[in-house]
Amino acid sequence: MERTLTVVPDDGLHARPAATFVETAGSFDAEVTVEAVDGNRPAVSADSMLGVTGLGVRGGDDVRLVAEGPDAEAALDALEAILSTPEDELDDMELP
Amino acid sequence: MTERRYEGIGATPTVGIGTATWYRPTDVTDLDEPPAAEDVDAAAERERFDEAQADARAELEAERESTRERVGDDEAAVFDAHLKFLEDPQIESGVEAALDDGLPAPHAVMEAFEGPIEQFEGMDGMMAERADDLRDIRDRLLRLLTGTERTDLGSLPDGSVVLAEMLTPSDTAQLDPEAITGIATSKGGRTAHAAIIARSLGIPAVVGIGDELDAIEDGQQVVVDGEAGVVIAEPDEETRQRAAESTQTPVVEESVATADGREIEVAANLGTPVEAEPAVDRGADGVGLFRTEFLFQDRSAAPDEDEQYDAYHEVCETFAAGLTGEEPRIVVRTLDVGGDKPIDYLDLDPEENGFLGARGIRLSLEEHADLFETQLRALLRVAATDAGAGLAVMFPLVSTVEELEAALEQVEQVADDLESEGVEYAIPELGVMVETPASTYLADAFAERVDFLSIGTNDLTQYIQSAQRDLDRMTDYQDPLAPAVVRAIDRTVTAGHAGGAWVGMCGEMAGDPELTELLVGLGLDELSMSAVTIPDVKTAIQEVDTEAADALAESVLAADTLAEVQDCL
Repeated sequence: MERTLTVVPDDGLHARPAATFVETAGSFDAEVTVEAVDGNRPAVSADSMLGVTGLGVRGGDDVRLVAEGPDAEAALDALEAILSTPEDELDDMELP
Repeated sequence: MTERRYEGIGATPTVGIGTATWYRPTDVTDLDEPPAAEDVDAAAERERFDEAQADARAELEAERESTRERVGDDEAAVFDAHLKFLEDPQIESGVEAALDDGLPAPHAVMEAFEGPIEQFEGMDGMMAERADDLRDIRDRLLRLLTGTERTDLGSLPDGSVVLAEMLTPSDTAQLDPEAITGIATSKGGRTAHAAIIARSLGIPAVVGIGDELDAIEDGQQVVVDGEAGVVIAEPDEETRQRAAESTQTPVVEESVATADGREIEVAANLGTPVEAEPAVDRGADGVGLFRTEFLFQDRSAAPDEDEQYDAYHEVCETFAAGLTGEEPRIVVRTLDVGGDKPIDYLDLDPEENGFLGARGIRLSLEEHADLFETQLRALLRVAATDAGAGLAVMFPLVSTVEELEAALEQVEQVADDLESEGVEYAIPELGVMVETPASTYLADAFAERVDFLSIGTNDLTQYIQSAQRDLDRMTDYQDPLAPAVVRAIDRTVTAGHAGGAWVGMCGEMAGDPELTELLVGLGLDELSMSAVTIPDVKTAIQEVDTEAADALAESVLAADTLAEVQDCL
């Protein structure tokens, strides 16, 4: 199962949005990978802070998420919600 | 002999003088050639890595705690990031692969970090600094794996100026602000970790000086001017004197008055009880704003009455023990939460509870009346103790007289309950935090009903200027010197005094010594600020002549633009 979407937080997948993203990815059983659509780097595991921040993804960039596992759809929904939320509203989000 | 100057980036607005002490940590990355793969016991190496990783985790957790206590949560966050990286799947799988290839643990660590470090180095700005974080974690693991002695930064003699290529988070966690009078590094920028920590600890620092710094030798006298961004080695007499004068303003322990005798109370803003003692040390007369949110954050349920009682009582006791004379005034603000201060179990909504929504006293009177009641019970009990005799309670974000009356009724109700339960209590001084435009118009009505008003300039500026605090685009509107804000302050002080209340200020503005004269002229009775600025403000007050201050306030109030206000100052 995969999904391509545009990253909303201005800072992209760095700092707090990245931390929230990685933590959330780690809370699902599904194996999730993420890659920058225009990037030339291989996809990285979504529960690796290092891998995720190392993608150098910024606000407005497109990323592709691929998930495999029983709760793949729920994982993609949760991660999509994070990537679609401006950074200053992240605190108020309800995370799984 | 002539002095030598080294230009860099000033990281703190302070100046220090001391003896140069080079910090050159052992290079742990200089490893011997690895033995042939067949001579390596892979299982033993794996165990060796696991042990080092566990030790590193323990060290990081300890450093996080000590940084949290000494500096603050924000600064401790870097250790959380390091802990994450330490156990990152990408690093772990890299180490695993290298061990499988027959490398010993230290070489496996070198190899696993190499790719990620290079990758971050290639990025710009903040991300490039991540490479430094990774090197720090790698070197920590290597030090533990190779059993290298840690270079000790924690026991330098008093008056040391630390010189280094750069300081990592693990280095700065050991720094003793009492002993170290300055930091100078050849690398790094204003946002480098060392710069941030130095600022929080109040250590003068200049970063990014370049390799020229190497010319300074151990033992030479050095001035670190964090304001001008310059390091001066072997300063001449004149420079030394100037540095000595501009180092820290001496602490004024007693309460202060203007040159012509008008007393002004100078108090501290506290976010947690542990900040009380440093505030006493810096000469705080009392507490003008004790935020209670810390008690409610980062947990799964609200604190009970006894826990709150202990926290409030602790602060009162710290001040009572540190000061002589009358019981110091400790102004506790009741729970002030809203959309920008989330608390998991309170179920707040960014819209509903945002800057213009249900927050502050609005929540305490409705949705969270139970929390308000518990908090008031704890406060009224503390007020009955010896140390709590100077306790005062302040309600946040009041915008109508109805709200204030409801809050006061709640205080009466709690007092009645405690009375009938036979629990000792006293009704403390009560006040309103003035931070909405409405409250500035109602200041006279409030003042007739309470003992004091305290102006929260941060929120007041946001609401008067209709410009949200956390939006970068709105920065230009956030100046509390904007004529509309200054006039609102003036109106509040005048109306508050007319109603018989004392009027204080607890926003950022109160801690700016350059504005002290203006604030005295506007008639404020108390100024409350973060503890670091207390000596400067106390000194500034002692130099104020009230007649000149009144004239200054008058001219500022006549100004129609921010530029005109600034011209007056």
